[in-house]
Amino acid sequence: MSSFREDSYLTTGLTGMHVARHPTKTLANTYAKILRTTAKMPDDAAYRKYTEALVRDRAAIVEKAGNDWKMVEKEMNSGQIEELIIQADKELSLARQMLAWKPWEPLVTKPEADQWKWPPPK
Amino acid sequence: MASNILRKLSCSLKNVGLSGPRVCQTLSVAPSALSRCLSSEAAAGAETRPTVRPHDAVAREHLVDFGRYVAECLPKFVQKVQVTGTDELEVLVAPEGIVPVLTFLKDHHNAQFASLADIAGVDVPSRLYRFEIVYNLLSLRFNSRIRVKTYTDELTPIDSVNDVYKAANWYEREIWDMFGVFFADHPDLRRILTDYGFEGHPFRKDFPLSGYVEVRYDDARKRVVVEPLELAQEFRRFELNSPWEQFPNFRDTSVIEDATPTTEKK
Repeated sequence: MSSFREDSYLTTGLTGMHVARHPTKTLANTYAKILRTTAKMPDDAAYRKYTEALVRDRAAIVEKAGNDWKMVEKEMNSGQIEELIIQADKELSLARQMLAWKPWEPLVTKPEADQWKWPPPK
Repeated sequence: MASNILRKLSCSLKNVGLSGPRVCQTLSVAPSALSRCLSSEAAAGAETRPTVRPHDAVAREHLVDFGRYVAECLPKFVQKVQVTGTDELEVLVAPEGIVPVLTFLKDHHNAQFASLADIAGVDVPSRLYRFEIVYNLLSLRFNSRIRVKTYTDELTPIDSVNDVYKAANWYEREIWDMFGVFFADHPDLRRILTDYGFEGHPFRKDFPLSGYVEVRYDDARKRVVVEPLELAQEFRRFELNSPWEQFPNFRDTSVIEDATPTTEKK
């Protein structure tokens, strides 16, 4: 069964955002890529924990909906499906950069004692 | 045909406009992602004077939760999280982590702070790292704002966030011009607000109010000349600081609430 959007949807109504032709398939692929990337992080990393839970939830919705992109939009309630694709792409690029940044490590620099005091000492 | 397109268009617009508390139940993994699912009503016993902004305890709770979420996800970079007396969330980060933190806030599903509203600077000469750099972000998706602060001194460069937010280009030039904070990897770090050939950084506390030079048109030479400032001796001293503190009893009554998660303070 093809995932091509049967109804000839002409516009997303948002400037510069084109109609996605295989939206649910694209979305499912990107979610799978995010999960593959987060799998390389340590198990106890909070970013991995939260992102995996969130992406798994979303992937489950996409899987359940099949080609019914309207239902995906309704369930996720985070914009049109083209916007969901953009959000997933951003999360993927973030997850890949996180592998280099390693934000789960302990604090890199301790602040000076008076750095965040307000009002500042004279 | 045209009406058909219109119908589809309005249908898609309706889809965009859907909102409600549901997303939090089905999707959010953070304790409560952001203030999207809040009603904007004030809590009971709220401020009734129309000129005073009502205090929203529920929204504040969500901000605290989100601040903890950011600190938990990025323990390497986040030094402190706080909520001000006027319900604004502030994330205080180490200078090395400004690019990762801003990228996280922009690209993560639960944050989506896609808009950089402003970059500001603060000069506190008594500190070892005297400059604070303040980034104000806006999430259009969740209708929420956040403030990220970091610090540096006169010599330490700070990473440019131009690759994350294009808007940072001119804002960072402003900070460079006014405070003399150097941004590493900025594509075009020139002065932006002061005149050609200007020297010094006017927003530093040690910059004199009168400036160092005087610019005037010289009629004999038929051109604009720049000369060192010459002031008569009686005008030379500017004592603009008050010799006493206006509200000494209230100096340390800070209303800022520390929201840093306890597990992170190891």
